[in-house]
Amino acid sequence: MAGVRFEHIFKRFAGGVTAVNDLNLDIKDGEFLVLVGPSGCGKSTALRLLAGLEEISDGNIWIGDRVVNDVPPKDRDIAMVFQSYALYPHMSVYDNMAFGLKLRKTPKNEIDKRVKDAAEILGLTHLLERKPKQLSGGQRQRVAVGRAIVRQPAVFLFDEPLSNLDAKLRVQTRAEISKLHQSLKTTFIYVTHDQVEAMTMASRIAVMRDGILQQLDTPQNLYDHPGNIFTAGFIGSPAMNFFDSTITGSPQEMYVDAGTFRVRVPQQYAARVQPFLGKEVIFGMRPEDIHARGFEPGNITSAPVNAQVDVTELMGSEIYLYLLSGKKQFVARVDPRVRVHPGDNLELVMNMDSMKLFDPKTEKAIYT
Amino acid sequence: MAAQTLPQTRAAGRAWSRYLVYGLVYALTLAWITPVLVAILTSFRSNSDILARGFWTLPNSISLQSFFNAWTRGGLSHYLPNSFIITLPALVGTLFLSSLAAYALARFNFRGNRVIFFIFVGGALLPFQILLLPVFRLTDWLGIYNTYWALIVFHTSFQLGFCTFVLRNYMRTIPGEILEAARMDGCSEFGIYSRIMLPLTIPALAALATLEFTWIFNDFQWALVLLQADALKPVTTGLASLQGQYIMDWTVIIAGSLIATAPTVLVFIFLQRYFIAGLTLGSSK
Repeated sequence: MAGVRFEHIFKRFAGGVTAVNDLNLDIKDGEFLVLVGPSGCGKSTALRLLAGLEEISDGNIWIGDRVVNDVPPKDRDIAMVFQSYALYPHMSVYDNMAFGLKLRKTPKNEIDKRVKDAAEILGLTHLLERKPKQLSGGQRQRVAVGRAIVRQPAVFLFDEPLSNLDAKLRVQTRAEISKLHQSLKTTFIYVTHDQVEAMTMASRIAVMRDGILQQLDTPQNLYDHPGNIFTAGFIGSPAMNFFDSTITGSPQEMYVDAGTFRVRVPQQYAARVQPFLGKEVIFGMRPEDIHARGFEPGNITSAPVNAQVDVTELMGSEIYLYLLSGKKQFVARVDPRVRVHPGDNLELVMNMDSMKLFDPKTEKAIYT
Repeated sequence: MAAQTLPQTRAAGRAWSRYLVYGLVYALTLAWITPVLVAILTSFRSNSDILARGFWTLPNSISLQSFFNAWTRGGLSHYLPNSFIITLPALVGTLFLSSLAAYALARFNFRGNRVIFFIFVGGALLPFQILLLPVFRLTDWLGIYNTYWALIVFHTSFQLGFCTFVLRNYMRTIPGEILEAARMDGCSEFGIYSRIMLPLTIPALAALATLEFTWIFNDFQWALVLLQADALKPVTTGLASLQGQYIMDWTVIIAGSLIATAPTVLVFIFLQRYFIAGLTLGSSK
């Protein structure tokens, strides 16, 4: 059991690429931290630095109360689940899990007990004699997790462990990993590019982009209060809509003017928006906060907007509407009972309580 | 009607070309196998029978005497063990050393990696004939001329280039994450090589072992140059020395050749899967 701390961590590769740029993270013992970001954002590199598979260019990594910069991977008290599972093809499932323990000269009966316990938890008991190539993708994935569990490490590392599974299995395994975390109560550090995985499993999410940490917060706070345009656009699906706008009106009655439509700033935000009166801002509105008129919830500060339907996508429980306001396209997730066709004009309602504003220069949230 | 005749003529054309191909294949096979068959037949005959009636005749009596003669008088009883004494250590040495070199070249990024790799490839491309004299003098200087060691050491070093090239390319195809997983599991670097990489390289090693066994076992040139003592000679040069020594006893030479071929044929029969894989190994990544 241990926490993990990244302290001004840099990773520069030969050729001048800075994969991780001044990363600071304080991960508490027992936390489930998810590093998320688009490919090439440095999240996997950060994990590999922690695992000891890459050398740190600058900074310190702490596991528990010691700096592990120069500690070889095997002595860091960590275990890792790889994206490709990286099972040993020539060993049985049992030996795959037992390998690390054998190398550590764990007593035989102890190895046997731990492997069988892990197999029990993961439902692998009947597969222990099989070779990896005789297993399905989901089973291989569980063996990879099992190999990590038997080591009883202080920290678990996961490098996109679900990305090779099909959609249905991914959802199922996601829940299993969450359950595993709850029962083991060990620190989990999990890398993914899938914001849904991040949202559903994490105690806290670290959003990364171009090697720089964008925001570190709980899933709920990240969703409700994104710190900048990148995080706002990355978390949530479909992504948040952004409109280049201007704050107009008077201090008593301010509007977000997006050119083709104008919505009133709700009273509770007035004080914080006021300094931007007359200035350009980026107005953000999540698709789920745009409703078709007549289907909006009752307790919101609503603002009417008209738009033309461009494309409709029925998802079953909801409809994604791709709408045009002038030439600007945006998306709304509306009630499935809404009956519209491409080309129709539609009256919509925005939930202004959930509005976001960003400074176009710094891309930072004006208030969240 | 016209629409029907066209496919028919095409089918007829295909049939003809198939006959042609099969005919050619059988003709080539026959041309290839006839000398072997005649050799087998001859080995069962007596020398006087051949001297009287020539090779291309039916035998008037059949016996295993020539094999017996080749084994005892012909000296195969010590030539054949010599071949193994030279081939097996050279084979093991080649595979062990080249797999070590290949592992380093495939898995580590270090300055000069490429240069070293190209030197290995270049070594494999070198025509060994031009090295006859230098190698002869080197063995003399090393004091291993006219010993088994001369052949073992030089077969090993000459085959290293090709084997390293093949194994390095093969090891590159092993996913790096498997090795990283082993590192995190607590494997030492040599442990990763011996417990993970080598077992995963077995197909390539088996293919190379088959190829290399045949090459080293069949070597004539180096055995001729580096060994003088009859007691040390492998089958290849041993058989050659039979010529003239026993007033050209053809049946003994042929029976001896067949015995000498047997190990490579056996290796090929049991490992032919790997042999064929070996021929194309390294040609694609």
